[in-house]
Amino acid sequence: MKAFTAVFVGRYKQFIRDRAALFFSFIFPIIFILLFGWAFQNMGTETFKVGLADQGSPRITTYIAVGLESVELEGDVKMFETERGNLDDLLASLEDGDLDAVIVVPAGIDALEPGQSDNVQVYYDASRTVNQQILVPALSQVISAIAQFEGKYTPPIGMNQQSVQSHELRYIDFLLPGILGMTLMFIGVQGGLPIIQQRQAHIIKRLGSTPLRRSTLVFGDLLFGMIVILASAALIILVGRLVFDVQMVGNWFSLCGIVLLGSLVFVSLGYLIAAFVKTQESAIPVVLIVNLPMMILSGTFFSIASMPAFVEPLIKILPLTYVNDALRQIMVDGTPLHAMTTDIAVLAAWAVVCLGITIRFFKWD
Amino acid sequence: MKPRTQTNRSHKMDVSASKVIEVTNLVKSYGTIKAVDQISFGVSQGEVFGMLGPNGAGKTTTVEIVEGLRPADAGSATVLGIDVAKDSRAVKERIGIQPQSPALFPGLTVREMIRFFRQLYKKSLPTSQIIELASLQESRNVLFRNLSGGQQQRLSVSLAFVNDPEIIFLDEPTTGLDPQARRAMWDVIETFRRAGKTVVLTTHYMEEAQRLCDRIAIMDYGKIIAMDSPQRLIESNIKDSAIQFKMKDYPGDQVLTSLPDVSKVIREEDDVIIYTNNIPSAISGLLAMASQRSAELSELSVRQATLEDVFLKLTGKRIRD
Repeated sequence: MKAFTAVFVGRYKQFIRDRAALFFSFIFPIIFILLFGWAFQNMGTETFKVGLADQGSPRITTYIAVGLESVELEGDVKMFETERGNLDDLLASLEDGDLDAVIVVPAGIDALEPGQSDNVQVYYDASRTVNQQILVPALSQVISAIAQFEGKYTPPIGMNQQSVQSHELRYIDFLLPGILGMTLMFIGVQGGLPIIQQRQAHIIKRLGSTPLRRSTLVFGDLLFGMIVILASAALIILVGRLVFDVQMVGNWFSLCGIVLLGSLVFVSLGYLIAAFVKTQESAIPVVLIVNLPMMILSGTFFSIASMPAFVEPLIKILPLTYVNDALRQIMVDGTPLHAMTTDIAVLAAWAVVCLGITIRFFKWD
Repeated sequence: MKPRTQTNRSHKMDVSASKVIEVTNLVKSYGTIKAVDQISFGVSQGEVFGMLGPNGAGKTTTVEIVEGLRPADAGSATVLGIDVAKDSRAVKERIGIQPQSPALFPGLTVREMIRFFRQLYKKSLPTSQIIELASLQESRNVLFRNLSGGQQQRLSVSLAFVNDPEIIFLDEPTTGLDPQARRAMWDVIETFRRAGKTVVLTTHYMEEAQRLCDRIAIMDYGKIIAMDSPQRLIESNIKDSAIQFKMKDYPGDQVLTSLPDVSKVIREEDDVIIYTNNIPSAISGLLAMASQRSAELSELSVRQATLEDVFLKLTGKRIRD
């Protein structure tokens, strides 16, 4: 325990004197949040044009139209303008870019009995980030409000659009979980660097001449890394909430769980690098090669749906994709942990594989 | 030509003193290279035991096996009665090790570093005592990376004493120190020895080995080729005195060997050493030869054979290469 404390305190003292590590752990993510948060602050204020195709339910169609028209943004700007018409004309306008979305209200919705349910169909251009992040969630909100009103207790009208966010989503709400995921990656993968440096400078060998166990060294390092990660995560969320009033819909424990699982994956990745890269000088570019593609591709700043199709297989194997997705689901949708088994399974697999290879190939000298 | 007196040594050579280190038939190979080849030796309590050898002779590997830092392929090493292969942590708790280079955390201060190392052991000396040992009172709050090379070396050596060890292993403890700091370090080692403790030392400095060591093992190609007190090593290997000089336009070994009473000639570029049991005869022969050939002769000195000469004779190599 004395030795563990020594390792922990030693790491802490060196960390607070390491400007680069401090910058990447705390300053860098905050700069991103402030920069992107302010730059895209007005991204939610444009007016969307929505076409309504009534296929025999005039009452609900009118409700939807009135509901959409009544949504106002800052400065009395209407969020939606509606236009009625037949489906084919509306879809043609959508393709021409004159409309942002088309809602099809099927016959029979007007006459739903309690206990029955039906869906309206929404067409929109999924490749436009703004649609994914603002239009669809807002539509969904309006429709579910009408559904609530209609069905009293159980909403009978759904929207034919999966993974719809049921809360108002601004870009900053989308961005913040991404920044959080990215920071976990930066801190975690960098966590392999001190070991490489200490091995290269023969410090590990010197420690090997004392009764210090290597497991104590590793666990001291790990615990310290985890605390840095949690501190940085707390700072990111705090700044997000204080400056931009970022939402946190889900459970804090779930969020902590994913933060820790994600950190484990990235710290393992850092150790994996340390198992194969011998010098600090060559480790830094390797860390960049690992981090940069994930930072760009894994949906940190933009939805992965807006990425070109040919990078999709790559996106689907990168761990940050799953960390970002899980963090976003918790913070934005309030999804419980048991509903994101894919994310958790993929991340656990990454951790197991990285640690396994590390244990097999890591050399202390 | 009296041998230098070694009065304060005799009581250390008590054969009945208990062996704190016992090494038996140690073997360690790297691929086809036998780094350590069937080595056996023992070190008594209170002894300063030196290991000399050219680079790659196997000194460091041997010492590291004894310290419990790496496993042997065969043979055994016992330290303080503990088999290092079985319980190296128990051994490490009671020994102090200073590796060749001062490898410490660059981002910790002197005081923090000492505290860090103290916490790794069950018992330890006070921080202030280690700071004093390293003569770093003025720099106690300076980061390691901002210390001078000599200060780093002093801290590194002093840290080997942090657990008040019974045996201390010093690998090149005075390399990189100025003469004053080197003598201070010798004092530290002698004080340690006077407290009844044991020192295992590898060094490149013959003067250091000759002054500090009770016994020296000379290693080459993974084997111990000679092991005795410095004085006996010299007496039993070289009966002659050495005449050392620089000579331009070297006439060839044959010319020098044919001088009267010259038993052996060793040359490295301009530096020449000839060994003789008759100094006047050899010198006059040398001077006559030089003036006859108008060869430029400089830095001529006559001295008693030293450990360096023994080393040169046994390994054919100079120690500092």
